[in-house]
Amino acid sequence: MHKTTALIFGYNKYGLEIVQNIREKYERTRLYSQDESNLSDEINEVEYFDLSDDWSSIENTVKISDSIAFCVLEDDAQNIFLTISLRAYFKDLSIVAIASNLENANKLTMAGANKVIPVVETAADIIANILELPISSKVLESILFEENDLKIAQIKIDEDTILKDRELLSIDWNEYRGIIVLSLMDKDMKNEFIYSSKVKHHVLKCGDILVVVGYEKDIEDFKELIGSERI
Amino acid sequence: MIKRLIVNASYALQTSKRYQSNKRFFYNLLENDKYRYKKYIDILMITLIFISVAVLIREVKYPVNDYLLFFSTYIISIIFFIEYVLRLWVSSSVSEIIVKRAEHDSFLGHSISLSKALLTVFRVKVAYIVSVRAIIDLLAILPFFHELRLLRIFILFRVFKLFRYARSFQTLAGVLATKKFEFITLGLFSSIVIFVSSVLIYVMEANNDASPINTLFDALYWSIVTISTVGYGDVTPVTDAGRFVAMLVITAGIAVLAFTTSLVVSALTDKLEEIREVKTIENLSKMQEFYLICGYESVAKELCKKLASSSHNIIVLDEDITRINMAKKDGLTALHYSPGKISSYKNLGIDISKQVKAVLCLRANDVENVYTALTVRSFDKEVFILSLLMNDSNRKKLEFAGINHLVYPQELVAMITKEFIGKPVAFEVVHAMRSANGNVKIDELAVTTRVRENFKTIGELGNSAYRVIVLGVYKNDTDKFLFNPDKDTAIEVGDYIIAIGYEVFIGEFEHHLQTKVRDA
Repeated sequence: MHKTTALIFGYNKYGLEIVQNIREKYERTRLYSQDESNLSDEINEVEYFDLSDDWSSIENTVKISDSIAFCVLEDDAQNIFLTISLRAYFKDLSIVAIASNLENANKLTMAGANKVIPVVETAADIIANILELPISSKVLESILFEENDLKIAQIKIDEDTILKDRELLSIDWNEYRGIIVLSLMDKDMKNEFIYSSKVKHHVLKCGDILVVVGYEKDIEDFKELIGSERI
Repeated sequence: MIKRLIVNASYALQTSKRYQSNKRFFYNLLENDKYRYKKYIDILMITLIFISVAVLIREVKYPVNDYLLFFSTYIISIIFFIEYVLRLWVSSSVSEIIVKRAEHDSFLGHSISLSKALLTVFRVKVAYIVSVRAIIDLLAILPFFHELRLLRIFILFRVFKLFRYARSFQTLAGVLATKKFEFITLGLFSSIVIFVSSVLIYVMEANNDASPINTLFDALYWSIVTISTVGYGDVTPVTDAGRFVAMLVITAGIAVLAFTTSLVVSALTDKLEEIREVKTIENLSKMQEFYLICGYESVAKELCKKLASSSHNIIVLDEDITRINMAKKDGLTALHYSPGKISSYKNLGIDISKQVKAVLCLRANDVENVYTALTVRSFDKEVFILSLLMNDSNRKKLEFAGINHLVYPQELVAMITKEFIGKPVAFEVVHAMRSANGNVKIDELAVTTRVRENFKTIGELGNSAYRVIVLGVYKNDTDKFLFNPDKDTAIEVGDYIIAIGYEVFIGEFEHHLQTKVRDA
């Protein structure tokens, strides 16, 4: 379900970068700071918060089910405390959190975060990729961050899709020129590589999602051809 | 006239590139431990030494082949003589001394004093000739005059030359030299005990007919055998007074032995870290390709784990000893040198252009990273430098410092977040391919001559049979990535095939590319 409000906890470099990048995607973005001196920010809508259990001000002004929270406090312990505090109060809130390392990433998951980004691990992964696989690293980056016309898209199988009820193995993807199908996510939300033996005999059903890479026009053509929708 | 001739010749030699390069070559070959080919000369010399000793031993009781004897006596001696002369030549520069003196005198407006220059040359060369190493080298040549039977024993001096070639001996000698004062004290103490006990035992025993100690030499022999705690038992005191002296000497012997052992152990313990570092630096100059990690903090720690798991060579430099110890604890080759100082690279003998694959400035401090990058760039303009960027306002400064790629973690997190909230499934797919922990990998397969011989076009690769997706081809000649190319797209040597699949299948696919032989 599409979220309309982004709640960013942490007035720091991470918080400000996130605000810049996601502002266009949400109707409303709110930045929360533990320091009252930041409330005078003229560019961003900044509100004060503390780590007490009183979240009523947020509850009264925001529809939680339509919101996503970003916990980006630089102190890992505080970030974990914030996450657990939000989760305890809001069962339906989607929470994305950052962690400095894998150990704290696990703790954040246990605290109820839906998605955790281990900053150090991710930076190290990216550096290792740049060093070891410079070409593919550039390609993936350009696909993921849409730096050129090459895009990655999610195509949902629905009732009218011509691929519905077809076994994966029986589909010749070469028929669909210009696109490459990378993986399939089934109804159980398990993401499997398209050549995985687990999904070889999988029969496409409503709700399955295909992850495809291609140029914008080819993805659109593919979507039209199979009668599906892009999500 | 002669003076001018000598001075001119000295200037000519000093400025002759050919002469200087030859001299440097021989210096490196004989004296520079970091020189790649020195070890081959060392091995050759060690082999010659062992041949000499083997011939000497064999010769004692059995006849030795004439050719072998000739080789051992003359050829090896001549080789050692040439080595001796070369070492004498490279030990100091005569022309440099003369030129310096000439310039000194000219500067002061005096006439050039060649005699002073030659005196300095004489002093310098004699200082080398009388050094222990040079004397051993000289003695090793003496068996050339093997007709003098006594000189044959000098073959054993060739064994002492091993000290020159085996670096560990020199290290050990260096370590023990740090305890020079203690060893001198111990030597003095032992000498006094030996002297006093020898005289005492001689006084006590020499007039006793039943005693085997009849001369002062017997007494000295007994003292040394006893104090060293060897105690052969062939010479023993028979009088009560003599036995009392023996008890004292034995007690002193135990003390001497304990003191010696503790001295050696403490010298080694003190210097162990230094020895290890010297060894690491030696190995470093021989290392072919490695990543140079400048600054060992959280990202560096994580990155090193990943690079080490792919069997890459990694060298960590950091000026902070705590971080260096942490890197060592993590099993890395870490050196306590500042990556921002030119002297660090000089002392370590790192040839950045030849040895370093990439320099990674991974301090969580932009100032330090700029400093390091500029230092590296002052050595080498081409090497790939990657750096962390901690504050976006410093981006231009880091780029200006010559850093090729910046990784800004905050921006990374924001981009990932943006992508995650937009296309979570797609994000997971790409992230899994990038992550070291995922099963599905993305890989770059180089098109070699062999691959090109086997396959001409993308359609011929047969990747589907290996459950591998060919995402595209990187064309080396045009520096462009062709996404999902047509079957008829030609592949050329130098191109890269970007493949996605399970690691094991990619491995099999790569093997197939390398080994498939096309049907005639």
